[in-house]
Amino acid sequence: MTSSNTNAPKIRRRRRSFSHGARIAGAIFVSLLFLFPVFWMILTSFKTQVDIFTTPPKLFFEATTATYVEYFSRADIPQRLLNTVIVATGAGILSIVVGTLSGYALARIRLRGAATFGVLILMSRGVPPIALAVPMFLVARNMGLTDKHITLILAYCTFLIPYVMWLMRSFFVSLPKELEESAMIDGCSRFGAFFKIIVPISMPGILSTLIFSIILAWEELLFALVLTSRDAVTIPVAIAGIAGDTETGANWAALTAVGTVTVIPVVIFALLVQKWLIQGLADGATKG
Amino acid sequence: MSTLDIKDVHKAYGSVQVIHGITLNIKDGEFVALVGPSGCGKSTLLRMIAGLEEVTQGEIDIGEREVTDLPPKARDIAMVFQNYALYPHMTVRDNMGFALKQRRTPKSEIRQRVDEAAKILGLEDLLTRKPRALSGGQRQRVAMGRAIVRNPNVFLFDEPLSNLDAKLRVQMRSEIKELHQRLGTTTVYVTHDQIEAMTLADRVVVMNGGVIEQEGPPLELYDHPKSVFVAAFIGSPPMNFFEGTVEQGNVLRLEDGTQLQLPVSDPKGRTEITVGVRPEHFELADTGWPATVSVVEATGSETQITARLAGKMIRVLVRGRTDVQAGQDIHLTVKPELIHMFDPAPIPDVALEEDH
Repeated sequence: MTSSNTNAPKIRRRRRSFSHGARIAGAIFVSLLFLFPVFWMILTSFKTQVDIFTTPPKLFFEATTATYVEYFSRADIPQRLLNTVIVATGAGILSIVVGTLSGYALARIRLRGAATFGVLILMSRGVPPIALAVPMFLVARNMGLTDKHITLILAYCTFLIPYVMWLMRSFFVSLPKELEESAMIDGCSRFGAFFKIIVPISMPGILSTLIFSIILAWEELLFALVLTSRDAVTIPVAIAGIAGDTETGANWAALTAVGTVTVIPVVIFALLVQKWLIQGLADGATKG
Repeated sequence: MSTLDIKDVHKAYGSVQVIHGITLNIKDGEFVALVGPSGCGKSTLLRMIAGLEEVTQGEIDIGEREVTDLPPKARDIAMVFQNYALYPHMTVRDNMGFALKQRRTPKSEIRQRVDEAAKILGLEDLLTRKPRALSGGQRQRVAMGRAIVRNPNVFLFDEPLSNLDAKLRVQMRSEIKELHQRLGTTTVYVTHDQIEAMTLADRVVVMNGGVIEQEGPPLELYDHPKSVFVAAFIGSPPMNFFEGTVEQGNVLRLEDGTQLQLPVSDPKGRTEITVGVRPEHFELADTGWPATVSVVEATGSETQITARLAGKMIRVLVRGRTDVQAGQDIHLTVKPELIHMFDPAPIPDVALEEDH
């Protein structure tokens, strides 16, 4: 009796630590699986062309920053990076403003046909982007808007706004409507209640949605490829250009170097807001 | 403080009419409880007074001012919601001061008024907390604090106690009563709990299906209910009903043929009738209506007897203790002035519920 009493907790503890260890190992395995391509990209970006094609691939080699120096001292890559920043933040902000307001309207305001309208907007996301790219190009050309930042921003909004709108709608639906009613009795208009009460409460959700939107716009390739030619070219297009360089063959070092620089801001962004991201995803439970 | 006049107010959602013309004049400083089963329109009426629902037809005046089409913020009212609706991102102090801030009240005055309200409600130590760090009763108190800081013309309460446990509910009920006696603000209080309505209000308005069934001081509704509905709704445990036909002036013949001697004949001389007797008005006697006891529940101060009379379950409430036992045959009498007679009408669910 006594021996089993003293042993039981120990066994349990050991068993728990075993399953804990297995879980950690599993987590490490999955992380490695996801991180390996990124790791390989960064590694490759510091290799010379010769090292890249050595078989078996070398893990240790003489690192060189030559590719970085070469490509980022050229005018076009930094310019394209700047274009990407402008377009991604522009599209992110515009879509969050429009999407949050319309998501709120869908969640709260009794409008005839609002639900149908919402579903129609969502359905537009079911259309393959390639089917939209060509008409978009024609519209942009007719309006003399090709190769401009604003064109890309508006084009990105076509897929970002439905996304933001539906995400924010479900967020707002989860908030008790008495919050706004209370604010309206306390002296706010509907807009005042929205900006003073609902927006501050929803900040984690709004910010995480904004970050998602910026990341989506940041890495978008198809519309940028079709709608830009020189001035507003974004970095994914530049990368595609390097990969598809048929004259000299793909410059893998350049590809990975530009790729690394493109990914870094996204990773930093995601790390910075990961607290919000998790909170934002788990939120809606923030009831009074 | 102010009067509140509701004049022939209707409400319809599309073609569905939910409020069928309600007129109610509330005096300055009066505490009125709207009570009724869910779906009777009491919350809709309250929300129309608050300006949260449009009035389809009719007029609402607060004081001398018509507010029918004014937005909520222009009505100078305060409302306490069932789920409190505290702003989760603000401290208790900011929650309570929010309405004053919207009115651009000077900061020092906001501070002073919030402090005063906090003192009344015993919230002084909680002013820097966020709502999520408060218990249910504390949140309820903050919600009331938010209302009284405003010093509004009218207080509106929408089932404010239904989220609390039974013990806290009783405590908060007396606090609300005390608060009303202290501030004397005109109050409209919506509840489905008739005990809450009876204990708090100066006047109880019983609503049913979008109309006022009866209104009056709580004890008047208890003593003289005008319909089966009000009789069933007011009083706990609910009234016993016997439906039947009157024969020979004062004999009630039930559906199964049982004949019950009525202590008085129906003053209106009806033949089809529903007779009501409150459980506490039955008296045990040697002769009278025969019943068989099925359950005896003693709580010390009183004893509740559940019995069968002509196959129907009835309740009898006896003060103090009794030696009646389950299975025993008893006889019941009722004083002539305590028997109720109504036009036949469907008996609402509340009266049929096991333990309301």
